[in-house]
Amino acid sequence: MGLYQKTSRLREFLEETLKILYYYKSRVAFSFSGVALGILSICVIITTIDGANKKAYEIFESLGPDSIIVFSGSERQRTARERVNTLTVGDADLLQKIGGIYDVLKVFVVRNVNMKYQDRKWQTMVAGGTENYFASFKWELQSGAYFSGEAYRNAEAECVIGAKVYEELFQGENAIGKVILIGRLPTKVVGVLKERGGSAGGPNLDDRVVMPLTTVTSRLANEKRFLTFIRLKTNRDVDATIEDVRMVLRKNHGIPVGGEDNFTTRSSKDILQFVSVISGSLFLFLGTASIVALVVSGFVLANLFYLTIQERKKDIGIRRAYGATRKGILLSFLFESVIITIMGGIAGVLLSVVLEGVFERLFGIPMEFSFKVVIFALTFSLLTGVLSGLKPAMKASRIEPIEAIRG
Amino acid sequence: MITLKNIRKSYFVGERELPILKGINLRINKGEFVILMGVSGSGKTTLMNIMGLLDKQTEGDFYFMDTRVEDLNDESLASFRNRHIGFVFQQFFLLPYLNAIENVLIPIVYSDKEIKHPREKARQLLERFNLAERTHNRPAQLSGGEQQRVAIARALINDPDLILADEPTGALDSKTGSEIMELFRMLNEDGKTVLVVTHDPKLASYGKRLIRIEDGTISEDITT
Repeated sequence: MGLYQKTSRLREFLEETLKILYYYKSRVAFSFSGVALGILSICVIITTIDGANKKAYEIFESLGPDSIIVFSGSERQRTARERVNTLTVGDADLLQKIGGIYDVLKVFVVRNVNMKYQDRKWQTMVAGGTENYFASFKWELQSGAYFSGEAYRNAEAECVIGAKVYEELFQGENAIGKVILIGRLPTKVVGVLKERGGSAGGPNLDDRVVMPLTTVTSRLANEKRFLTFIRLKTNRDVDATIEDVRMVLRKNHGIPVGGEDNFTTRSSKDILQFVSVISGSLFLFLGTASIVALVVSGFVLANLFYLTIQERKKDIGIRRAYGATRKGILLSFLFESVIITIMGGIAGVLLSVVLEGVFERLFGIPMEFSFKVVIFALTFSLLTGVLSGLKPAMKASRIEPIEAIRG
Repeated sequence: MITLKNIRKSYFVGERELPILKGINLRINKGEFVILMGVSGSGKTTLMNIMGLLDKQTEGDFYFMDTRVEDLNDESLASFRNRHIGFVFQQFFLLPYLNAIENVLIPIVYSDKEIKHPREKARQLLERFNLAERTHNRPAQLSGGEQQRVAIARALINDPDLILADEPTGALDSKTGSEIMELFRMLNEDGKTVLVVTHDPKLASYGKRLIRIEDGTISEDITT
């Protein structure tokens, strides 16, 4: 048989299958939407987990695997968003002496500070940091420079502004060397940070102003004793270092045995752990839902197929009389079922793409759409089609032509 | 073309044997127009099903185009039917989701014959049977006579050697029925071997040979 004939016959076969599906469209619609829903949830799971992992990895990267952050306030107070200052500059100096710690960043954060440039106003947070602030958080500049060691030592009114603040106050004009009013303190802008974007569900990282800690504590907040957080880097084991940090701080804060820490420690490990817990529960919940949806639609498909076979006995008989083999009947029924589930799968993938856009915009859930998702979804729909179609198709293929024609 | 030697066919209901065909000996040659007549229950449809390779005899030898049918497996049987036989049934058996021309093309899907431009050929067949205006109508939109003509076109698309028709006029009024029989006569004149199974004595006059079957045996075999 020539190639032309083969392809035209294949086309004939495909067209016929589509016509059959169209003829039984209400039944097909049931199975189709079941599969589409199942595949949709699988896609959402995979993309969300991938997105969360990617985000977590980014955070992990920017924090560095060797960092520990110590926040003011107990775990409970942090959860309740109570802002208390319990860490002191003295604490930081003590922590510096712990073996293995090679970098200590002290930060004092003032929230909701009004700032002004000409007639433009903005309100945001000011982070007062030590000189290593930028290196420690891997902040890069889009223009200008970081504040200098001299500025730090002399508590000069200099600041580096985030991309969001730059946008609000300068709207694209040159900002370097300009003086803005931060609270009541006229401050010179020396640098603009590169854009980093919002974090998932959290504050916009670009909406910040960074100044020398000395300037913030002496000239902006008048708070020389306390710190908002301390960031440490260690070349020892992170967990072991955290234990040392806790011991030193509990002793220095005079917390009795059995008392609650009035500070909170975090390492990049915690973030990864948090993400894996989230994605684990997401996987469990949506995974169950999608498997149930797929199994149910598989059963629906199988049952509808059984019904159809009864109704299509004559169809099968006539095809057998005109030369269809058992194998041919089996394959054509299997093909029908696979076409339904594959179409359902494609619809599910498309729907998930739309939904992901919505999710990302509404809830800031990061999603990572990839080719992997498509492969995964199509494999699942193919499997559903084959598994649910196989038994009915075998039944159809076993029907004898005269039995079917006598019907 | 067809040789039947002492063909027996029984159905078994539990332990009981129900003989349907009780030793049929028959030879049908190329170019014949045979009317196989018998009352309901005489075994005529069973005989036709065996000759059409749709059913198997319990005993006896059956040669189709010099091939011993017992030696063929499912695949070869299917291919044999596809190459050599065109079926026409009382209930037409057109597929409801396909239009006229697509129904005619069904055997092509399973065919390994070299047929160039099958769609064109199907159109010509339909035109020949005065269905040119109906090619894109679904079976539900066609009259009984039209449906049967579509079914006959389907039987012819693959150039079979033998046309087997089981009560082809059974579901039609007598005028339409005789039109259909005229069509078979025309096809026979074109060289096709035609075998029509019927209980209706009025159709006897269309054939060139009349075989009467009674209670599982041939009671009469006349060539006119």
